[in-house]
Amino acid sequence: MFNLIKAELKKIFRKKSFLIVTIIFILYCLLTNVIYKEMDNILEVDETYYTDTNISNNLDLTNQEDLEEYLNNKTKNEINDIKKNNDSSMEYIIDNYLYNLVYEKNKIKYTSKDEEELTKIEKELAETLKYINNNDWEYFVNLKITNLKAELKEDESNSRLKELISLNEYRLTNKVDYSYKNYLNNAIIAIETDLLEYYNFKSKDNLSKEEQERYNYLQEEMALNNYILKHKVDANNTSNLNAVLKEFPANFGLFILIYVIMISGSIVSEEFNKGTIKYLLTKPHKRSTILASKLLTVLLLIPLIIIFMCLIEILIGGFTLGFNSLNIPILIYNSSTNLIESYSVIKYLSILLITTLPEFLILGVLCFLLSTITTSTSAAITITFLFYLMSNVISNLALMYNLKIFNYFIALHWNFNYLLTKTPNPYNFKPLFSLGIIAIYLIVMLCLTFIYFNKKDVKNI
Amino acid sequence: MSILKVENLSKKFGQKEILKNVSFEINEGDILAFIGPNGAGKTTTIKCILGLQKITKGEVIINGYNIKKNFVKAITKVGCLVESPDVYMYLSGYENLVMQASYYKKITEEDLMKIIQLVGLENRIYDKVSKYSLGMRERLGIAIALINKPNLLILDEPTNGLDPEGIKELRELLIKLSKEKIGILISSHNLSELETFCNKVCILSKGEILSLNSIKEIKNIDENKYILKIDNTTKVKKYLSNIDKILDKNYIEVIKDENDIAKFIKELVLNDINVYEVKKEALSLEEAFIKIAGGKKIV
Repeated sequence: MFNLIKAELKKIFRKKSFLIVTIIFILYCLLTNVIYKEMDNILEVDETYYTDTNISNNLDLTNQEDLEEYLNNKTKNEINDIKKNNDSSMEYIIDNYLYNLVYEKNKIKYTSKDEEELTKIEKELAETLKYINNNDWEYFVNLKITNLKAELKEDESNSRLKELISLNEYRLTNKVDYSYKNYLNNAIIAIETDLLEYYNFKSKDNLSKEEQERYNYLQEEMALNNYILKHKVDANNTSNLNAVLKEFPANFGLFILIYVIMISGSIVSEEFNKGTIKYLLTKPHKRSTILASKLLTVLLLIPLIIIFMCLIEILIGGFTLGFNSLNIPILIYNSSTNLIESYSVIKYLSILLITTLPEFLILGVLCFLLSTITTSTSAAITITFLFYLMSNVISNLALMYNLKIFNYFIALHWNFNYLLTKTPNPYNFKPLFSLGIIAIYLIVMLCLTFIYFNKKDVKNI
Repeated sequence: MSILKVENLSKKFGQKEILKNVSFEINEGDILAFIGPNGAGKTTTIKCILGLQKITKGEVIINGYNIKKNFVKAITKVGCLVESPDVYMYLSGYENLVMQASYYKKITEEDLMKIIQLVGLENRIYDKVSKYSLGMRERLGIAIALINKPNLLILDEPTNGLDPEGIKELRELLIKLSKEKIGILISSHNLSELETFCNKVCILSKGEILSLNSIKEIKNIDENKYILKIDNTTKVKKYLSNIDKILDKNYIEVIKDENDIAKFIKELVLNDINVYEVKKEALSLEEAFIKIAGGKKIV
């Protein structure tokens, strides 16, 4: 049997199609990594820079809406100027604290035109700018803490305020400035932004379905960001190798499918089409042994190819995005315990492989069956691919309509990723039930394949 | 000793009967020529023997093992080349041989080199098969058939694509092999290629065996070939049957038994055609075949 599998592997690896797909995969891999690398730049909103001449273009300043737009444009304009002259450590302060001040100033200047207030705010602005230009981010942290503490005095039991204070104290002790490049800063900002909404939901009974979903999402975000702050792991970075690997099935699932159907769709039919089956079936081995060797080759190759793809991605991703993010653990929020679980990249990928495998094994066996019955490579590949597309549609339908017949449809069972991401199964299936359905499908498909292959006549050309 | 025994082999595709009670036997040292027009069922018979197609009725016994019941043991000492030498085009000739050898136990590299030399491929064996000519692929196909040192060699139209030199070499190879206690079944359209070295002939037509004889027998069937010298061959046309031939202005060739040739000459003479000369010749295998197969020409 070992020799037979070895021969099958040799046939597959020596084929041009295998080589071509691998080359395309490597290119695809490279491009995907480049996209991840440039993701931040691509997603960054292109801030329109207004010049003084077009700032008021087509705007009627007597109209309230137009006036507001004018003030916004004017403020953005000034903020952009300030940003250009400052390094990144004050980014968040400029975008928020300073922005509000400048907007306030412009509003007085163009609406109430109160000289006294204007001088007052201009003075405050000049003061603030001085700290900004000195990169004195600690001043703003202290300022915030002072304000929060004052607020807390009036409402001593407010845990939201306490949390905000401790967040800002965290800034001071850990020297977290306001740069967007600093992941700790991003985590702090995310928590600060979500906190109000979070506490509102928390204190509220009888949440509606949408509110409950939002609340769950906020809980997850809070847990994740708090974990990042506590353990100082850059886990939310979307432009490192870690992020590419985390989304491995989404990024490369199609290529896994292509490999699977390319191998299993041709392994039997091509022998018939090329006539090589005549030599194969006149060797001193039972037909079922020959078929079993081909099946085992397919079943063995599917995980090996996924591992191979992972390694290629790690290699290419390492060179484009850097290898150091491999040390960063992948964080998973467990919705039932409300806790963050940390996985090393290798552990995460291993579990991912196991939970993703059933889908591709089933598609592989289906393609293998079709390849044996039709002895047509193109038919086997096309039908399997269509089945895959249809199964996506049916999986979505099953989410909308709770029909019993869907419960026995294989595509609802073959994905076990929910076990890894610690989310509930979208269809409320128990893993054992899913495994049972998968076993039944596999047994039926394999029986059909073996019965058919044993009876098949090698037709005359 | 009997190597291959085919008994009442029948094969149906749906309602259509492709083979009807085909029986023959190959012993050690036999070279059986398997002859028949296109669609006679030669390849189907061979595929049934090899277990490539299911047998509807009848038995195939190879080296004492029934191919249906004991496939692995029956096929172990069989080498075959069916239809055309279909090998993996993206591999080299040598890689193909290694691949085929891996399905057997204990075939050494030396064995392979010997076979490569035997079929005369040593110069091109490391080239990709996709660069081979048809003749070279045929040689590779024969090499694969010999890879397991078979004692039953089944070759389906092995002379396809071979040049005259190749055919001569193949002939010598097969004669040599038959002396090593091997039984050979060989089908071919090219009857003249076979008659010089086969010792048995099996003629198949429409799925039935018309005749199964040794070469001597088939050549000495009652009929003989007669060359007649007459005054004008244009006048005799209406007296000739479809297997007879007009050779030129004065000579005709007829195939008849002794009684019929006497009647035929009498008929000519009575119709004012002068017969100057009658010469008796033995039938070639091809002519005998045509005669037996009911006058149907094969390719």
